[in-house]
Amino acid sequence: MGKPMRKVAIVGGATTKMKARHVDKTYFELAFEAVKEALAHARIQKEDIESCVYGIYNDLFERQFMPDFFVHDYLGMGLKPGVRVTTGGATGGSAIREGFCQVASGLHDLVLVAGCEKCSDCFNYEVGKESPELLQVLRYAADMTWESPTGRTAATVFALPIVAHQELYGGQPTEEQMAKVSVKNHWHATKNPKAHSPMNLTVEKVLKSPMICYPFKFYDNCLYSEGAAALILASEQIAKEITDRPVWISGVGASLDYASMGNRYMDDPKGVAEFRSSIVAAKRAYEMAGIKNPRKEISFAELHDAFTGTEIMAYEDCGFCAKGEGGRLVDEGVVRLGGEMPVNPSGGLLGMGHPVGATGIMQTVEATLQLRDEAGERQVKNARRGMVQSIGAVGCAWTVAFVLERGE
Amino acid sequence: MEKSEAQKWYERNGARIDVSAEKMRRFYERELENWKNIGDPLEYPDKIEIFYKYTYGGQSRFFRELRENKALFGSKCQKCGKVFCPPRADCNRCYEKTEWLRLSGEGTVVTCCSVHFTNSSFIKKIPFICALIRLDGTDFLMISNIEMDDISRAKPGMRVRAAFRDERDGAITDFYFEPCP
Repeated sequence: MGKPMRKVAIVGGATTKMKARHVDKTYFELAFEAVKEALAHARIQKEDIESCVYGIYNDLFERQFMPDFFVHDYLGMGLKPGVRVTTGGATGGSAIREGFCQVASGLHDLVLVAGCEKCSDCFNYEVGKESPELLQVLRYAADMTWESPTGRTAATVFALPIVAHQELYGGQPTEEQMAKVSVKNHWHATKNPKAHSPMNLTVEKVLKSPMICYPFKFYDNCLYSEGAAALILASEQIAKEITDRPVWISGVGASLDYASMGNRYMDDPKGVAEFRSSIVAAKRAYEMAGIKNPRKEISFAELHDAFTGTEIMAYEDCGFCAKGEGGRLVDEGVVRLGGEMPVNPSGGLLGMGHPVGATGIMQTVEATLQLRDEAGERQVKNARRGMVQSIGAVGCAWTVAFVLERGE
Repeated sequence: MEKSEAQKWYERNGARIDVSAEKMRRFYERELENWKNIGDPLEYPDKIEIFYKYTYGGQSRFFRELRENKALFGSKCQKCGKVFCPPRADCNRCYEKTEWLRLSGEGTVVTCCSVHFTNSSFIKKIPFICALIRLDGTDFLMISNIEMDDISRAKPGMRVRAAFRDERDGAITDFYFEPCP
């Protein structure tokens, strides 16, 4: 494995408010809002940006092929390099990784990474609701010949590994443990003014909410959000000139597993009961950052909790605990705000929101605020080092993992 | 009203019956009427539709056997002997060609779940079962539906067999799985 040629800092970032519907803004206007605030946060001008990376998941949500092209225009970035990244739910993480590469390689000194998504322009006229039509778009992300015609959804391809995991590890995670993740993250969101779903739930209320896809009840699922997020990356020299609070990206790992779970199973029958890409990406990020014991050496994590059970599986696959013990971290309060290692102090996807292409960037902005002591009520005490996991596609095919460190 | 052939085909294949232009027009009329200020957001109806005649390529025989002979076929790597179903013309481990292999159509559920909310195409079919099934004689998994009276009884380890629809037109929806008796 190679290593980065230069250090890369995050020098600013911002997100819009996450909402089911921003009826007053298009996707490029949402991106503009986040970018304007991120530039102000970094105390730089748009003219200072040398190169842009855009994380936008899905052309059908935006009702536009190559939507990045129009974001670039609207941001007034004409003639600068601009590239769009799309890797499913991990789009935001992959966009940051692309920006990281541009700075680490010496190609650019100041790079904008911006993500946006507008999912609720989709509308099912027959039932008068957005959600079935929004999910209709995701139908085209499944293997069109073999999988899509089964009616499977994003929830299905995450529920299947959870059920396989339960089968292998004595029913872990339990439905009650998953409900506790929902309660925790929605509660964290009450401390985040940008959050889509701040709520004080109870385990009982989660367990009694309508079944969406077994074992996920309504409150086990994140909502699709409209929103945007932006991050400014800088080389060490520039970072030191413009801020006394840089956040260093000290570890980057990425992995793309097989699209078909059959291929994972062929490697190892356990391959459908774990997130192999998260294991590989987290390990690589820890190696780069020199982390030996993530549980002890990481202060907090922003994990991709599109579904409660996936957060618990992520504890295991990101090395916070042994296989089958993820649920215990929730039971013992380790992962709540105030606990030993808070997970998703932002509220995560469940509480803060899931603006797909912007999600990984949103998570990283939140981790950045933590490491700059700017996280307000949701601030993790003594946050020195954070971890971000950005995942996507069938049963977590994609993972991008980052380790972020507080600058001295 | 008698359903058209096209409509029946769409329903069989889980594709969507076209939303009537009328519903979109009525929505937009309401949208045009309901405003206070001239700068209020305006939502305009639209749709994207593309027609295809996509090729199954090296997987074509699977669909012809399915339609003509109610048979499921896998593909076996000529080098490592691993059997794929869904089939592949090329082994992605050895980079060698595969050969066709007739399967019994029986298999074991590796993992499964019941779906209670889904996309526009399938929303009228809920609840239903999605499962990863290892077909006997294969080393791979196929995602498919299991049709059974009590869906809460679908569990990993369950034995299932392929059941074929009477009207088949060469698509994965020509068959589903049911519990072995």
